[in-house]
Amino acid sequence: MKMIWAIIRPEYSQKVIDALEKTGISAMTRLHVTGHGAEIGITAGHVNYSEIPKEMLMLVLPDIDIAHAVKIISTTAKTWQKENPGHGSVGDGKIFVTYVEDAYTIRTSENRKDRFGSSGKDR
Amino acid sequence: MKKIIAIIRNEKVEETKSNLEKIGVTGVTYLYVTGKGLRDGMGPSRFQGSEYHPYGGRHQLRQLDDAPVSADPVCLPAEKEREPGFRPQRMLVIVANDSDVRPIIATLIATNYTGHHGDGAIFVCPMISAIRVRNGEQGDSALV
Repeated sequence: MKMIWAIIRPEYSQKVIDALEKTGISAMTRLHVTGHGAEIGITAGHVNYSEIPKEMLMLVLPDIDIAHAVKIISTTAKTWQKENPGHGSVGDGKIFVTYVEDAYTIRTSENRKDRFGSSGKDR
Repeated sequence: MKKIIAIIRNEKVEETKSNLEKIGVTGVTYLYVTGKGLRDGMGPSRFQGSEYHPYGGRHQLRQLDDAPVSADPVCLPAEKEREPGFRPQRMLVIVANDSDVRPIIATLIATNYTGHHGDGAIFVCPMISAIRVRNGEQGDSALV
């Protein structure tokens, strides 16, 4: 079981969500965040905007689905460059994947580890 | 050290807060999030009698590993049956010692259980260290 934190452009989030839903990944959490990358935001004239609004998606998936989900997010969240097709642009976002040791569904008190498997240090 | 991420109903936050206080949890971060679960965040009656299985998508996905991204698994309900699924929820982030994880999870489950879909989920992730910004204290002592 692993957790994906994907930071994407807000205008692309619905596109990504729809693409994930189409392949059966429907459980996710969405957060509005602000931040900047290695370019320290955008500078327009003398003003630097370092807190650029982004959307963050959090998904927990079994190990076997992670590569698939990352592929979907990275292809759908990419902006389209006319002169350089296939390459996105600065600010398209990032995807982080972390371990999840345990996961519980509150309604059933069920430990999803039994179903999805754990991928912590004890793997 | 572990990070506990709990996603719960908005209306249960105050109850959860006081119950966590009772078992001695001091540091909690609350986030406003929107989310949906395996059933698109809908009530229990919506899919009764339908072929939809909450985990059905997983099996489909395994077969679709090399298939094009747009492949449409049959286990999903028809488009018209579904609603925009994202509903406001609250995310709690608690960083705790390994030994405190079990009581915290038990409290969270006991407080937030209603038996309906949308009760939320709890995830436990490994955490390497914590640092107190005020004095640079590191490790377990930075938590209390």
